Amino acid sequence: MNSTANSDNGRRNENCDAGDGQDLILHFLDKVRLSRGDAMEESEGEESPTELNTINSAGGFLIVSPDKLSVKYTNTNLHGHDVGVVQANKPAPFKCLTYYFEIFVKDAGVKGQIAIGFTKESFKMRRQPGWEVNSCGYHGDDGYLYRGKGIGEAFGPTYTTGDTVGGGINYGSQEFFFTKNGALVGKIPKDIKGHLFPTVAVHSQNEEVSVNFGKTKFAFDVKGYEASERNKQQMAIDKISIPPNIGYALVKAYLLHYGYEETLNAFNVATETTVPPIHIAQENAIDEDDSSYALHQRKTIRQLVRDGEINAALARLREWYPQIVQEEKSVVCFLLHCQKFIELVRVGKLEEGVKYGRLELAKFVGLTGFQDIVEDCFALLVYRKPEESSLGYFLEDSQRELVADAVNAAILSTNPSKKDEQRSSHLHSHLEVLLRQLTVCCLERRSLNGNQGETFRLHHVLNNNSTRR
Amino acid sequence: MATSKKVITRDEWEKKLNAVKLRKEDMNTLVMNFLVTEGFVEAADKFQRESGTKPEIDLATITDRMAVKKAVQNGNVEDAIEKVNDLNPEILDTNPELFFHLQQQRLIELIRQGKTEEALEFAQEELAPRGEENVNLLDISHRLKTASEVNAAILTSQSHEKDPKLPSLLKMLIWAQNQLDEKAVYPHINDLSTGQLENPSE
Repeated sequence: MNSTANSDNGRRNENCDAGDGQDLILHFLDKVRLSRGDAMEESEGEESPTELNTINSAGGFLIVSPDKLSVKYTNTNLHGHDVGVVQANKPAPFKCLTYYFEIFVKDAGVKGQIAIGFTKESFKMRRQPGWEVNSCGYHGDDGYLYRGKGIGEAFGPTYTTGDTVGGGINYGSQEFFFTKNGALVGKIPKDIKGHLFPTVAVHSQNEEVSVNFGKTKFAFDVKGYEASERNKQQMAIDKISIPPNIGYALVKAYLLHYGYEETLNAFNVATETTVPPIHIAQENAIDEDDSSYALHQRKTIRQLVRDGEINAALARLREWYPQIVQEEKSVVCFLLHCQKFIELVRVGKLEEGVKYGRLELAKFVGLTGFQDIVEDCFALLVYRKPEESSLGYFLEDSQRELVADAVNAAILSTNPSKKDEQRSSHLHSHLEVLLRQLTVCCLERRSLNGNQGETFRLHHVLNNNSTRR
Repeated sequence: MATSKKVITRDEWEKKLNAVKLRKEDMNTLVMNFLVTEGFVEAADKFQRESGTKPEIDLATITDRMAVKKAVQNGNVEDAIEKVNDLNPEILDTNPELFFHLQQQRLIELIRQGKTEEALEFAQEELAPRGEENVNLLDISHRLKTASEVNAAILTSQSHEKDPKLPSLLKMLIWAQNQLDEKAVYPHINDLSTGQLENPSE
């Protein structure tokens, strides 16, 4: 489908400038595209290191095994510039909470000058990780941690033949951490930006280590570590106090906003009859007045749209809110006509659909902002089973809900008591405003961390029951 | 502080807010989760019909759960224990502390009704071996505490989280703002109940 071509379509443009409120309701066209799956999950599948990079290693001093998972120092070391360094074939993935890998010291060789750490792609391959800026390494012979400061700092125990040592990055806390034989040794702040390569170094004769990029089970319980990190964060979050019963107030406002009148009534009855009754803060009484505007009308029309009774919905709108449907090229009219067309396709009345499309949808062809959606709608006709096609989302319940939401927003915008500067609140329920703020805060923080770490997605939070017990 | 924070203007921030892709279904799911977890069975049922959102758990189990909760709230502890056992006998077996609290509540109700002899007998037989100190046992709020404890235990037994996600997300909003404060200056929402975006105060 034409999924990439129209990313800018929902922005304001003169062709569908149908007056008051239209600007705001345009955003529902973007929502249609959102269901199409445009702009969805920007490639979550990141590549991970799988083996050692044999091309970029310090040739002459070391030999990488044929399986590219172990490395041996074959020379006799003379000075500090003949370290045998080897990086992983790919940088550590960063759209996750942690990255981790391990080495096993097969032989500590003559001096045991083994190091594990992280380096940038441009790292000088004849220096120990940590000796140069923008690198860090945990060294086996002294147990020191080096991070480009010229001198090392006491960090943990030394390690030698038979030890398993791990290096990891915690993107959430922006720290490196190291482990020895399955136990956490310590962590230090990560002040290096950009891609980092897992790196191993050997520096004296017969030193030999093998690397585990996760193909076999780690000695360290990374999942457990992640869980405890998440738990720490969750505990910090749990400690925050919020106004009592704010959840009730938000749910109530949400039901009001979208015109879920029956749910609202049941909710009101229930909160009043519990022992003790739940007191919902009323400080924003004006706001509530506002969102109860036309509640019953909004509910009625929503129900009609949800039942696929588009003609009836249009008739009600003409009767109750003629100003909304007056402009026949408005977003609301467009969405309703699309929906009518979709309903005809749903019940297999294709001929009638074509007729209806020619009559009501053809006028949107060529109008930027509508074009791609019109085309996708018409494309429904070519499938024997449209519900199984890539356009199946049109036939889903969520599409009806979306159209109902657009109509709801349009009706709310006719509220005469609403001041201009408050107009945007027709679109977003109170709850949505808060969720947007939450999402942007998380995204922004992540972007200031070089886009490292997990992204916040409401969808994931809702579908993940296992994080807390 | 020497490190300069990134300054994000209201305009830029609002653009970011508008660019967020939020699905209506997800918000509906969040609201449904609240109704279900808090036990608003009628509202959950209507909401399913009005919004097409599927509840994550059989609504019938809410009715049972709420009946137990209500029984405790009204002081009918025996009745509550029976109902819990009907629902799933393992709940009390695996939660000895909860069972103790329910028994304790039962004693409190006997005392409240002035059935001192019965209370004494009951205490000696059922509670003495476990003995636990507590103040304000006679307060009505103790019923609510016990009721919400049973409620949580039943939810857990149904492999459902015991708290709704909504309050936790609100806390997360405050937390996320605090975290971002360390690195940036941007418009805040300080009052959750109004959702008003406030300009950064410098």
